[in-house]
Amino acid sequence: MRVGVYLGQVRGSSVIDLDAVANYARNLADVELVRVLGLRPKLDPHRIRDEIREARLERLVLAGDSPGYFKPAFTNALAAAHGNPEEVRLASFREHGATDRERLERAKSIVACAVLGVPFPLVAEKEARVVNPATLVIGAGIAGIQTALEIADAGRQVYLVERSPTIGGHMAMFDKTFPTLDCAACILTPKMVAVGDHERIELFTNAEVAEVCGGPGAYTVQIRQRARRVDAEACVSCNVCTDICPISVWSEFDCHLTHRKAIYIPFPQAVPNAYMVDPEACTWVTSGGKKCGACLKKCPKDCIHLEEEDRTVDLDVGSIVLATGYELFDARRVERYGYGRLPNVLTSLEFERMTNASGPTGGRIVLKTKKLDKRSKQEDWVIEPSGPAPQSVAIIHCVGSRDANYNPYCSRVCCMYSLKFAHLVREKLPQAACHEFYIDMRAFGKGYEEFMERIKAEGTRVVRGRTAQVTTENGRMVVKGEDILHDRLVEIPVDMVILAVGVVAASGTQELARQLMVPRDEDGWFSELNYNGDPTLTERGGVYVAGMCQGPKDIPDTVAQASAVAAGVLHGIASGRGSGDLSALSLNEIETRARELRASQLASS
Amino acid sequence: MAVRVNPKLITELAKYGADDVQNCYHCGNCSATCPFSKEPFVIPRRSMRYLQMGLEKSLRGDLEPWLCYYCGECSEQCPRGAEPGETMMSLRRWLTSRYDFTGLAGLFYRSTRAEIAALVLVALLTAAGLLAYGYIWGGGDLSAFDGGEGRRPFLPASAIHVFDWALGLGFLAVLLVNVARMWHFTMRSRRSPRVSAAAYLKHAVLLPVHFFSQKRWAECKETTPWKMHLGLMLGYVTMLVLVMFFLEPLQHGPGIRWEVHAFGYLATAGLLAGTIYALRGRLRKSRSSHRHSHGTDWVFLGLLLAVVATGVVLHLTHRLGYGTAANVTYLVHMMAVVPWLARYPFTKWSHLVYRPLAMYFAALQSEALTSRVRGQEQPAALARAA
Repeated sequence: MRVGVYLGQVRGSSVIDLDAVANYARNLADVELVRVLGLRPKLDPHRIRDEIREARLERLVLAGDSPGYFKPAFTNALAAAHGNPEEVRLASFREHGATDRERLERAKSIVACAVLGVPFPLVAEKEARVVNPATLVIGAGIAGIQTALEIADAGRQVYLVERSPTIGGHMAMFDKTFPTLDCAACILTPKMVAVGDHERIELFTNAEVAEVCGGPGAYTVQIRQRARRVDAEACVSCNVCTDICPISVWSEFDCHLTHRKAIYIPFPQAVPNAYMVDPEACTWVTSGGKKCGACLKKCPKDCIHLEEEDRTVDLDVGSIVLATGYELFDARRVERYGYGRLPNVLTSLEFERMTNASGPTGGRIVLKTKKLDKRSKQEDWVIEPSGPAPQSVAIIHCVGSRDANYNPYCSRVCCMYSLKFAHLVREKLPQAACHEFYIDMRAFGKGYEEFMERIKAEGTRVVRGRTAQVTTENGRMVVKGEDILHDRLVEIPVDMVILAVGVVAASGTQELARQLMVPRDEDGWFSELNYNGDPTLTERGGVYVAGMCQGPKDIPDTVAQASAVAAGVLHGIASGRGSGDLSALSLNEIETRARELRASQLASS
Repeated sequence: MAVRVNPKLITELAKYGADDVQNCYHCGNCSATCPFSKEPFVIPRRSMRYLQMGLEKSLRGDLEPWLCYYCGECSEQCPRGAEPGETMMSLRRWLTSRYDFTGLAGLFYRSTRAEIAALVLVALLTAAGLLAYGYIWGGGDLSAFDGGEGRRPFLPASAIHVFDWALGLGFLAVLLVNVARMWHFTMRSRRSPRVSAAAYLKHAVLLPVHFFSQKRWAECKETTPWKMHLGLMLGYVTMLVLVMFFLEPLQHGPGIRWEVHAFGYLATAGLLAGTIYALRGRLRKSRSSHRHSHGTDWVFLGLLLAVVATGVVLHLTHRLGYGTAANVTYLVHMMAVVPWLARYPFTKWSHLVYRPLAMYFAALQSEALTSRVRGQEQPAALARAA
């Protein structure tokens, strides 16, 4: 087959040296023509058609960061030259992990596969190897919990590592799920308890992965277990220590809306259901044991060990599941919305906690009020269950998402949770007006469109148009935007603004990616092996991705992917054929494998 | 009535500088953030929409691009990098070419090469004309200024006035036709409300107000560009008045006649400061309004700098008594000034007239629309539907 290779870039920031790849491609068998198009070329289908005819090309390979961008011109040209338009192959550097200058070899191998007509991820074929039946799951949100339970229920050992003091992740903070308006805790808590009780799941909370050695099927992982300073087995959660503790700090679980003590439990249903000490806040710890220690004296079970130290644990596992989830985009970065400056501008997660029946206001939607802090003698905006209810609420979509200045991608969950918020506002405060400012309403899932129609029918005013800013006029907030469908500018006075902030990959993903040799895409999410064909595998053998850490997704999709990962892990253990390890293959090996694949394809056809 | 769509409008506009219009996904952030976006003018998203839809006629009758002063807020905040600010700038160029009946404006905007060629041609013609005049009528005497010996200059102010007034009036005529076209496009289109003669008279005062103050620009977040532009523009108008009406005392020398020269110095300071500020900004691309430079922007600034610089050198050599140098500089100065003046109705230059006119027309439309639908619920929606 006579092949022509065209190399072009879409963005000026592209880093792969196209000329080097072009020189490599010239020496490949079958390649008759190589053209470097450069940055965003103006393509003339007639000229390409003439080139195709002249060189009698049968297959065109378009290589670059996003080569699909150029595809239409080439498909047309190939059709015009009476070739098979299906034979325009894409060699996408970005999609297959050739993301920086050092990954030139990877870029070459992507081109080599495309020239042979072999989909790049296929090179990572499953390899016969003994897979250690124990599995490490990193992150214990709903994705990690689901994977751990499925694998453990199948009778295999799971180590579940969680950075925070309790499992449950973000879902434990939610009030309701969309579009069914089910209680999130009612779905999650039984699963959390099952994890806590499972004989085949060993749980490490307050712990992180420190080091990873070994290879596919036989990894050795060192876990850094931070000291809990409370014996989780003996603790009966009687709350005596918390009552006596004199130190108050902002509660992470309640999104800094309320305070917790230095010895605390994040929330009553936490798993493991035991108290812990915040070493940065505890007077005893910070003073080196010289001060305080009140809880020690009061604890009826003698289970507080303030002197406890961090330790490390070594684990041997065959498979590793990444389920590290996400973080919220920092809304402070969009200064014009006033988050952090205007007290009643909340992030979505803060509102989620407020409207949660087990949250700081018992589920009442209230405004922050100014109050004198007795200790610091400073006025502070605080949230109290008895606070005034808002008369008018604005929900602003796409904060930090779909924005070239912040994150270009769609965070995928915000539209729907915003609609859910609108429902909760209208349900709990029927007299309050609720305005949603959106760009496009992305109601993509089962029942979502219907949910949106329902919310609209409930009396929420849905304004198509992004808000430009939140200002204050006479002490009241004013949301300025354009109502595009009605072709007018709007200025709406409101008491509360909820920012539908987007999601970003959790902090520490970069470090994990380095340790595990798993590539990340340009937005920071872990790259799956093949977007369509292998969405749970990574190019590192035996390392899987589940949930948000692979890309924004809602709870149903997360749970589905988590279960799929469990199936993959169990398959590897049971069959003795683990997932292929593309990251370890050299250019030569990839070329050889691609040729073999090509030969077997030809033989079978 | 049928609506004519020009599917190539966006490609056409790319030649005027707007590259990224297709990126726009109509979130409305720009219109909500623009300080001039007030009913019934939704700036700049509506123009972006017209562009994407290829509604050439609607755009032609659009005043909105002239209401934008390119503070750059919209472009900075744009989530799609669609550069609404630069699009408005390009639309102003495009509108200038639409108003211009000769077609020269369009030619110059689409091809900077054509513009430079035209400039060089006019400059050479000017030099040739002056030299010919000097040799044929001046008897080989090319000194522009009298040598202080009571000798008559070969080009007395009166002779120059014949030329500059003729040139000025000729181009004024062209510009007036263009202004009439602008009025026709914007005020007589199907969508624009009918305005009574009384209203035209009532608001006529807005024209000189906006012409001299550009006060709406001061409403932008950052006021430095407005101040620099004001200095440049006032300097420019002062200089124009001096040359057109007070050339004789201005050229008389070598002694300095303060009653005219004081104005000349002030004007030069304003011109120099404004030109250098704009050039520096465009070179450094510091402000978003300076980030994109169309070829004609460079020609405009380069030629302006040439006019001012040669004028300064001319003044210095003349006053210091370097006769020959002054005469040569005079020739060079004229080679810059004549092309500069000749561009008047066809280029950026003409915004001197279009912008205050647009402010005036916008005020008229705004009033007509509000009075027509007063008491009704949705003024804007109705206004657009009308």
